[in-house]
Amino acid sequence: MLGKLIKQEFRATARIMLPVSGAVLVLALLANLSIRGLSGNMSNVPALRMLLAFIVFAYGAAIVAAAVMAMVIMINRFYRNLLKDEGYLMFTLPVSVHELVWAKLIVSLVWFLVTGLLIALVCSATALNISHTSLAEVFREMPSWSEIRDALKELGVYNGLIGLTMQGILVILLSILALCLHFYAAMSLGHMFSKEKILLSIVFFVVISFAFSMMQTGISIAGFEAIDRLHPVLDSQNGIHDFMMLAWIFIGMKLIQSAVLYFATVLSLKRGLNLE
Amino acid sequence: MPILECRELSKHFGSVQALDEVSLTLEAGRVIGLLGPNGSGKTTLLKLANGLLTPTGGEILIDGLAPGKETKRIVSYLPDRPYLAEWMKVSQLLDLFEDFYDDFDRDRAIEMLLRLNIDEEMRIKEMSKGTREKAQLILVMSRKAKLYLLDEPIGGVDPATRDYILETIIRNYNPEAAVVISTHLIADVEQVLDDVVFINQGKIMLQASVDSIREEHGMSVDQYFREVFRC
Repeated sequence: MLGKLIKQEFRATARIMLPVSGAVLVLALLANLSIRGLSGNMSNVPALRMLLAFIVFAYGAAIVAAAVMAMVIMINRFYRNLLKDEGYLMFTLPVSVHELVWAKLIVSLVWFLVTGLLIALVCSATALNISHTSLAEVFREMPSWSEIRDALKELGVYNGLIGLTMQGILVILLSILALCLHFYAAMSLGHMFSKEKILLSIVFFVVISFAFSMMQTGISIAGFEAIDRLHPVLDSQNGIHDFMMLAWIFIGMKLIQSAVLYFATVLSLKRGLNLE
Repeated sequence: MPILECRELSKHFGSVQALDEVSLTLEAGRVIGLLGPNGSGKTTLLKLANGLLTPTGGEILIDGLAPGKETKRIVSYLPDRPYLAEWMKVSQLLDLFEDFYDDFDRDRAIEMLLRLNIDEEMRIKEMSKGTREKAQLILVMSRKAKLYLLDEPIGGVDPATRDYILETIIRNYNPEAAVVISTHLIADVEQVLDDVVFINQGKIMLQASVDSIREEHGMSVDQYFREVFRC
């Protein structure tokens, strides 16, 4: 049933996220052409210059809009589909609350990643365009993977950097999950009450933020102190090792945070669901 | 085994007692009117049966089980409000019901949609209030469920549609299933009811067959209701 819920969730979100992503791609193409136009002889015609500048501005706005939209969709789908009238359908489907929450989480995660990659892609293309570098040049100049690997192995940091990259991916995924669950938990807790549901959701959001930032600060300070005692003098070897240790601490914190928020969400929806 | 059973079921919202130790048994094969004035606890009872609320005390069982994933497979519920996503087309809703409910009969739904001139490609937001109610009822009644829980199914529609809806309910329900119709518009539903449950201020006032009310009190259910709930 989770697969069917995910399918429905994609159907509901793609109708907004696909046009937004398409708009970013089209505007990226137009804006990059405009940038070339602005730097060429077309820049002498004032009206055209204004139009080209407007396209570049619209491109910037579309990038911001895509990022904002991924966030809005994540919040709005949970709110409208589970906590408002549509909840009467969703909570009477023969599915578990876990499946309902996971479907929302997985689809939000996918849209955050797609939007992030899209923005990274179009921004890189624009950077190359501004610096008048062609993709062929980039590949020509770039050292081969084996050269990079040998150089890193020579420095003795190859395995460490691979580990750090894996950790980086884990940090990104867990941070997105924790962000979604932060909103889900606050909304679910706030909607257990009969009145002032939105106000209470905001209060829960702030309280959760405060509690976790206290925890994060405390654990980070303890982590830094432990590393300081372990390696008072840093070199490239133990530097990577220390950084990895800090990353593990951060991953652990995000895991605990996500688990606590997940169970708060599921329990509120199971025991305290109170649709209007 | 009763299809729906409440044992000293209570629900309160803060200081408001919505249901007060309700004990009730409903058997399959009957059309039951859950009748009571506004705010009497009808909707709360149906929400509890659907697992949309958790009881404060006592228990509610559907076919012997507490509300959950298993009971939702056999209960077809019509809430008292528009609950379908406005952006969805009727055809997408048919897909959704077909995906999640094994007992959903798509052909039966399409036949009813055709009869009521509801275009499958129409979006919910393009429909009038009455058409939305009809579309919702068609989806709910196109399931071959064991228990239909219909909350105010004739609330906001014109008399012609009202007749069609009642006809749909009677024509489509499986004789082995129970249909619970919650309403305060008694005169309109009386013709289709086998049994009635009167509810007021969270308590069950009466559970009887329509025939026995007519025989014992010499009046219609509507007249008897007015007598019991005289202000």
